[in-house]
Amino acid sequence: MNKFVNESWLVLTLGVVFAALLAGAQTSLSARIVVNRTRALNEAVAQVVPDTQKIEALAVAGYDRDVFRCLDADGKLAGWAIDAVGMGFADKIRLVVGLSPDTTRIVGLKVIENVETPGLGNKISEDDWAGQYRNLDAGRPVVVHKRPPTAGANEVQAVTGATISSKAVTTIVNEALARVRPALQQQQ
Amino acid sequence: MAEANDTNLAQFKAGILDNNPVLVQLLGMCPTLAVSNSVENALVMGAAVIFVLTMSNLIISLLRNLIKPHVRILIFTLTIAAFVTIADLALKAYVFEVSKKLGPFVPLIIVNCIIICRAEVVASKRNVWRSLADAWGCGLGFTMALCILAVIREMLGAGGITILRDLGWVWHLDAKTFEPHAWVVMIMPPGAFLTLGLVIGVVNHLRAHGARKRGG
Repeated sequence: MNKFVNESWLVLTLGVVFAALLAGAQTSLSARIVVNRTRALNEAVAQVVPDTQKIEALAVAGYDRDVFRCLDADGKLAGWAIDAVGMGFADKIRLVVGLSPDTTRIVGLKVIENVETPGLGNKISEDDWAGQYRNLDAGRPVVVHKRPPTAGANEVQAVTGATISSKAVTTIVNEALARVRPALQQQQ
Repeated sequence: MAEANDTNLAQFKAGILDNNPVLVQLLGMCPTLAVSNSVENALVMGAAVIFVLTMSNLIISLLRNLIKPHVRILIFTLTIAAFVTIADLALKAYVFEVSKKLGPFVPLIIVNCIIICRAEVVASKRNVWRSLADAWGCGLGFTMALCILAVIREMLGAGGITILRDLGWVWHLDAKTFEPHAWVVMIMPPGAFLTLGLVIGVVNHLRAHGARKRGG
């Protein structure tokens, strides 16, 4: 026992000291980190549903990610925002998709987290590309094509050289809408 | 690793130039390649490494007479891991966007060879001031090497340099005419290897030239 303590007292002491140090760091910084995470999400929601002044989280059965009811300055419903995640070309893509108050149209899309190829797949985070989703029909799946979209066909054009990333975004959007829209329609 | 540095100042300077951890010792290549795709990433990574190196060298130097040889690696790793975790939390709290871009490479500082190498070679054998001088020298040398690579890669790969977007302050240097023709490959892994290889080649050439001039 003596020999054990002799050999290891420093390791054990350091272990306890560092654990305390880490606990202190975690306690004092975790509030800021949570604020940072929610701020990124809230900024995306405000961008995706126009006129949003206030957002309220709501729980949708069977969907474990955030869904928001967006209210305008008068407290009226401005739209809905859905936080969705899915697999992209490189790693997970996280986005927020906005719906009109009657859930029939997509009013906006913003990719908030992605690690796609810079200069190629990364372009999905640009507002120009994501703007294609505005005013598309939320009731039927969005389709990605390499050529410019046909009017009225619920299509978007893929980023040149980044078809997989573009398809990933569309799949994530379609799945999120399919899972959440029925619950939102019941809310009205 | 024979390092004959007579004074603390010599130790500090060696870490930046003659014994640069990235360009001469060729340590810590993995974060170097991954994180040098933008100047902002390079600076933040460099700051994190300087912090961890300083604290690690300090603690280990203070404890150097108490550390038994057969548990020294364990103690080094324990110390480094604690400070890397603190650095990671601090980055997430204060520069959230950059922290997301750096991704897994901040926690991976724990296994960065530079830090454990300096602990073994200097901190566990020399006094506090020598260890701190070494930490700052090597930390600055690492940051400098990363920035040299990042300036080249970001300028050629993105057509300009943008830093400090996170803190609400943008410093943007544009190579406006170059931007449409940017070589995207430079911000991807092949560009990293190319740039690193060329920079090491230039550094070796300069060192050999300097040695010849000194009659070495």
